[in-house]
Amino acid sequence: MANRRQTRNQIRGPHSALTDFLASNNISAAQIHQDHQRRLQEAERQAAVEEEGDVTVGHDEHHHVGELPEERKKRKRKEAVALANIKQSKEFARRKARRTGESDDDDEAIAREMMHERSRPLPGQLENCEACGKRFTVTSYSKTGSQGALLCAKCSKVLADDEKKLKAKKRGARSGRRQNQSNLLDGLIQQGALSLAEMCTKRVADNINDIEEFGDLPSQLLHRLSQILCKRRVLTPRTLNLFLRPGIDSIDIYDAAKLETDDFEKIFTLMPNLSCVNIRFAGQMKDKVIESMLGRNLKIKRLQLDAANLVSDTYWRRLFQNLGVQLESLKLSNLDFSLDDESVEVLCRCCTNLQRLKLKQCWKAGNHSLRAISNLSSLEHLSLSFVQEVHTEILLETISRVSPKLQTLSLEGFSNANDRLLEVVHDNCLTLKKLRFSHNAACSDAGFVRLFTDWENPPLEIVDLSSMRDLDNTNPESPTDAIGLASQGLVALMNHSGSRVQKLNISSCRHVSHSAFEEVFSHEKTYPHLKELDVSFHTVIDDYIVGRIFRCCPKIRKLVAFACFNLRDVQIPIGVALIGSLKAQDPMIVRSAY
Amino acid sequence: MSSSKSSQPDYVTLVSGDGFEFVIPRSTACVSGTIRRMLDPSSRFSEAISGRCVLENISGVVLEKVCEYFCYNEKNKHQAHVPDMDIPPELCLELLMAADYLDT
Repeated sequence: MANRRQTRNQIRGPHSALTDFLASNNISAAQIHQDHQRRLQEAERQAAVEEEGDVTVGHDEHHHVGELPEERKKRKRKEAVALANIKQSKEFARRKARRTGESDDDDEAIAREMMHERSRPLPGQLENCEACGKRFTVTSYSKTGSQGALLCAKCSKVLADDEKKLKAKKRGARSGRRQNQSNLLDGLIQQGALSLAEMCTKRVADNINDIEEFGDLPSQLLHRLSQILCKRRVLTPRTLNLFLRPGIDSIDIYDAAKLETDDFEKIFTLMPNLSCVNIRFAGQMKDKVIESMLGRNLKIKRLQLDAANLVSDTYWRRLFQNLGVQLESLKLSNLDFSLDDESVEVLCRCCTNLQRLKLKQCWKAGNHSLRAISNLSSLEHLSLSFVQEVHTEILLETISRVSPKLQTLSLEGFSNANDRLLEVVHDNCLTLKKLRFSHNAACSDAGFVRLFTDWENPPLEIVDLSSMRDLDNTNPESPTDAIGLASQGLVALMNHSGSRVQKLNISSCRHVSHSAFEEVFSHEKTYPHLKELDVSFHTVIDDYIVGRIFRCCPKIRKLVAFACFNLRDVQIPIGVALIGSLKAQDPMIVRSAY
Repeated sequence: MSSSKSSQPDYVTLVSGDGFEFVIPRSTACVSGTIRRMLDPSSRFSEAISGRCVLENISGVVLEKVCEYFCYNEKNKHQAHVPDMDIPPELCLELLMAADYLDT
């Protein structure tokens, strides 16, 4: 009641939430307005006083004739204080930096210039433009012309545009080197000009927003365009339309993050002949999309989906049942909690013709999935990266059952797997071309030696045994029996696969000794096909070893050597990308071939 | 083989669909795989004998740009970090088709 009585005496307008908030924080619009008016008036008064002074006396002391000595002293003192203040301001420092190269006594001139500028007309006043002479209203956006007077809105805009152009030009010149360094990190060492097709593809990607349609561009060029656009993250619903052509049987979208559910449905509606589907970062792909896919009876043979974690298990199962035996290749990654063991079992029951299977970062897949995979009898390529721990026995059984036909075996993050897995691989895999087994601290060097000695499998082409090392923090010196791929294992590996190996990744296998590297890359050895080698985190690698690597591997294009601190001044042959060396800015040393 | 090579003139003529002729050094024209195979003396194609390639499906404007690229490629053969050639945006799709056809 008391509250209401109080308010009755006052007349109030409608209250907004903002007004309440401001009031509660002691902020009043009226107060702000008053303050502003007061400041304006003060400034005007000051300007008027100064103008008066200018009229009667002028700037130079020779002109202060009618002035009393005390007055003059007072005025000069004031001026000196003002100048000193200006000299300490940031704006002054900025201007001085801009005019470097001029004489020192310029300080005084700059400060005086700034002082006069401060007395420039206030916003709201009328003034004549310096450039075109037109009368205009001064705003806080009005720019200063070359002679210190103000410019009208039109001339200000012209000036701003000119400045922008200058800036843009500067950036263009710099980005060349950045682009080169970026290319180097991607392992691209460009020798001579790019191919015309590549250059045009890039140019098309630059102007993607002006393009109405691609016409009958061949599908491999479409693929390349999609790669470039996805890398630049500009594949939007609009640009997607350019790729949807009913005649083509494949679609590759490496970054579908900007596409909505409708766009995915559009893909399957407009391209009824699809047989290869590769869509990554498909975050908005939902049950609805799968349903529309099922309704169209697509003849999909190869399916790769990444990050489609909104699809429910029911729909995964329906999809696998629907595709059935026609499915030859399935790659699913980053599905988080979306694909469970039972769905994988349905997959392995229905899609018995699967030749290629990749399951990465599907959090729910575990022992049951692994057991189900062992029933896939036509499997040729298997890549698994599980989050759940699995029983070693099940893993061993699965690998031994699927291994006879395997060409690719990629196992990441199976931390329980030990030397027995290597034995199974040794005994059962006879047609492997690619072997990846990484992030494991249970296999021993002796195990690798046994794997690579007298192995009936022909030499491997791609080998990734990265991060196979001891991880015991309490024992920084490795145990006496080396854990992971170490000196002997590397020697055995290169003896077995050296003749065919194209890509080799042994990063972080930290127990390989200098002498082992010397032995592997000694004078009489050559690795004729080795193109990419990753030796990151091998601190024993030095300039000598790298020099030997370049001599033993005539085809090498890319050497990754992060954290190889003993690399100082390496002579890099022409056309080779050395990535991760400490001096990233080093120019490429051009040298004739050996 | 060596006699036939020595008898080959240093310049070849590329003719666009709308009748423009471009006379360029043989070595630069052979940047294109298609033209190289056309001009290969062992093929006994009429192009190889006359040294004249008629490219019906490429217009004069595009072929001019293609020839510019051939010279640009020759000039920058042994250099690292070559700046891209300037391609007018309105031409790039047509040029891309031509580049694909010419295997360049």
